[in-house]
Amino acid sequence: MIHRRFRLLTLAVAAGSLLVLSGRAQEPVALFDDVTAAAGITFVHQSAATPDKFMMETFGSGVAWIDIDNDGFQDLFFVNGAPGASNTLYKNNRNGTFSNVTDQSGTAGTGTKAYKTGVAVGDYDNDGLLDLFVTAYGSDILYRNLGNGAFADVTTTAGVAGGPGEWSTSAGFFDYDRDGDLDLYVANYVDFRMDENPWCGDRRPGYRMYCNPTIFDGTASRLYRNNGNGTFTDVSKPAGVANPAGKGLGVVFCDYDRDGDQDIYVANDLVRNFLYRNNGEGTFQDVAYAASVGFDINGKPQAGMGVDCGDVDGDGLPELFVTNFSEELNTLYKNHGDGTFEDVTQQIGLGSGLLPLGFGTKLYDYDNDGDLDIHVTNGHVIDNVKLYTPALSYEQKDLLYENVGGKFKDVSAAAGGALQTTRVGRGLAVADFDNDGFPDVAISSVGRKAVLLRNRGVSKNNWIEIRAEGTKSNRFGLGATVRVQTPGALQVREINNAASYESANDIRLHVGLGTARTIPQIEILWPSGTRQILKDIAVNQVLTVKEADTR
Amino acid sequence: MRYSNPVTLQNFCAVMTIVAITCAPAQARDQTPALQALQALQERVNRIGSDLFSPTPHPAEAIKELKAILAIAPDLPEAHLLLGVAYRAQGNPDLMGEAVAELRQALALNPELTQARMILARIYLDLARAGRARDELRVALEKVPDNPQLLTLMAEAERQLGNPKRTVELTRQVLTIDPKFDQARYYLGLALIDLQQHAAAIQELERVVQSGSNPAESNLSLGMAYLETRRLDDAVKVLREATRADPSRPEGHIQLARAYRLKGLLDDAARELKLAAPATGGSLSALYQNIEVDYYLEEGLLRMARGNLDTALQSLEKVLALDPNNAVAQKSLADARKQLRDRTQKKTPGSTR
Repeated sequence: MIHRRFRLLTLAVAAGSLLVLSGRAQEPVALFDDVTAAAGITFVHQSAATPDKFMMETFGSGVAWIDIDNDGFQDLFFVNGAPGASNTLYKNNRNGTFSNVTDQSGTAGTGTKAYKTGVAVGDYDNDGLLDLFVTAYGSDILYRNLGNGAFADVTTTAGVAGGPGEWSTSAGFFDYDRDGDLDLYVANYVDFRMDENPWCGDRRPGYRMYCNPTIFDGTASRLYRNNGNGTFTDVSKPAGVANPAGKGLGVVFCDYDRDGDQDIYVANDLVRNFLYRNNGEGTFQDVAYAASVGFDINGKPQAGMGVDCGDVDGDGLPELFVTNFSEELNTLYKNHGDGTFEDVTQQIGLGSGLLPLGFGTKLYDYDNDGDLDIHVTNGHVIDNVKLYTPALSYEQKDLLYENVGGKFKDVSAAAGGALQTTRVGRGLAVADFDNDGFPDVAISSVGRKAVLLRNRGVSKNNWIEIRAEGTKSNRFGLGATVRVQTPGALQVREINNAASYESANDIRLHVGLGTARTIPQIEILWPSGTRQILKDIAVNQVLTVKEADTR
Repeated sequence: MRYSNPVTLQNFCAVMTIVAITCAPAQARDQTPALQALQALQERVNRIGSDLFSPTPHPAEAIKELKAILAIAPDLPEAHLLLGVAYRAQGNPDLMGEAVAELRQALALNPELTQARMILARIYLDLARAGRARDELRVALEKVPDNPQLLTLMAEAERQLGNPKRTVELTRQVLTIDPKFDQARYYLGLALIDLQQHAAAIQELERVVQSGSNPAESNLSLGMAYLETRRLDDAVKVLREATRADPSRPEGHIQLARAYRLKGLLDDAARELKLAAPATGGSLSALYQNIEVDYYLEEGLLRMARGNLDTALQSLEKVLALDPNNAVAQKSLADARKQLRDRTQKKTPGSTR
């Protein structure tokens, strides 16, 4: 691609100048800055870690980007694990800083005895305001956005608390029945009971470890159908997604078979992953065996954690990406377009993911060169893993892969100091919080400070962000398929903010455009079935698109 | 202690309440293409079931074929059941979670599959989750009361839950129905050991050994019972049988080493123990640490018996690292340290301590 060569040449020239000026060896160009402190983000995750090694202590919590007041700037919400610990909602001040508005918002969640885990964002009542759903080991919570900076706990009315003692992890809003309102999928993990917590690891002081999930049963996840009146109905069983074998940690929705409705992919921990094909009439069928997305290339179940879906090779079909345990590779399943996938992990340059234990992840175009790159935040689950395997550590560095023609190059080391810091990475969410067109990253770390990484926009490439506004479809257009045509390239993307691990991303669709200076055509296929075509769109803007009143 | 006799096809079919696919002979059916395809799938499942429940199963091939079947018919409960069986048959602890998952999915699709519940209970017993095993067996026994296999597994679950008297009751109930049911007699023997009734236990276990059923397990348990009663020659004899029946299992070698040591045959003990040496390197698996404890304990006691006190200390410290409350290791470690002190004092006669 010409624009990529041009970009690399530009960087080389810049680096050469640096070399001349400093007289030192060439230094990598930092891609991200850690702006956590400068932005006023002080959130510290509380894990409530105890010597009893209750599993949820090490599975951390998620993070969400949510524009709570529709001012066009993404606000930031961190889930805090420990019972009684406060979640934190930060309002974006539109100047690179944030203010803590948790108290006014009523989303602290300190009144619950549950261990809070994940978060989903969506406008479930189609009032134009994004709502929050917080998952937990214990009762989940739905916060309705009241529009005045405050949220109301409507869990009981809505009927989405989940079962008692259920350990929910990732969740997401999507409109599986395309009736114009958002339904809710909640992934559940293992059947863990506080009074049934076996000792795992050596029985000498300091050696007790968090247990392998193999010794616990899975639990069925939940699918709630939106009744359109502020309540939901649990349709997990009739819809065919209540598989008690699941040990779900990550969930993503995408229309993998391009039949116009969203399917569900669930990353399970040490049991096979599920791919629920949407049958289009209210039911799903798990086609993981047929699609070859349940196991790794050797036919073994992996310890799936985070997950995302996106077209990484530019053929218009979404691939599936799953982060896995240490000593397992993160897996990329290539979509062949005939209902089958292929594990191409080892062919496309993802080998450096072998030792780290991946959690939160996102496929996004960090350098706006027109393809999806991969970001993975890592951190082991066993805090004392070094005692057992000295080569491993609890805190680990992130991985950033640059997409080079459908193959990936690990650019983590060259990405600057912000990506050289170790953390116990769990939730990861991507949004362009400063609206400069380059996606930024928030990461939650078990028992540690959260991190906000600002994308420095080194490439200077062009971009567009689409804020969909459904009329017949759900209000934020979740599930819409967008085809962005630039000279010489077509990018097919879906509007979907649920991906990663226990986290929610910018609900706006971000598309990198490389050096393209115009967009001749954007086609949007809305969940309602409306096909809308926009012509000659200017680059480098956040474009609000209202669903047209035509088919 | 596990009892890992394969379930026979006869038993498999006996406990099934819904067995139309796996056990019924192919019947003449309407020959529409869909039904023909279904019938073909049923025949494949039948064939795999027959293989998996045979004395010489081929689980790797079964897994491959069952995955192919599930790609065509993802909601076929019997295929999920057999996939769980095949994973278990592979004996890889890493796949036990997947085995449980498949069996639970089979039951979610068809709660009447009692066989799935029984195998699930077996795996739970292997994973030392006796409470969950008991839950499954209770449901199964409601469907098939007085089934000897289910009652026998329930008996073992009760034993693992610390109720050996209940185990004795249940196994005797089974043996009244079928006196040749060796698995029940085996668990009866184990329960009697738990109840410190070693003579009675030996009597039952000898009958199991004589029947030739599962020689690795039954000889091992009998040998351990002999060791408890210091019948060392008998112990050596049956433990040799146990290791011959399954040389890959370290438990037999460890107990045979113990028997040799108690007989004073220290070279033989050392040779045998070498065969049980654990793999090097750290392991994150917590499931099989008891074997390591037994190994290092025997290593420490053997080294003490040979007068190698320094290395004995190392072995016994390893035991206590894995199991700090191990009374035998604690006492032996104290003895070894005392012997070392005494030895040092003899070498330095001027010492006052």
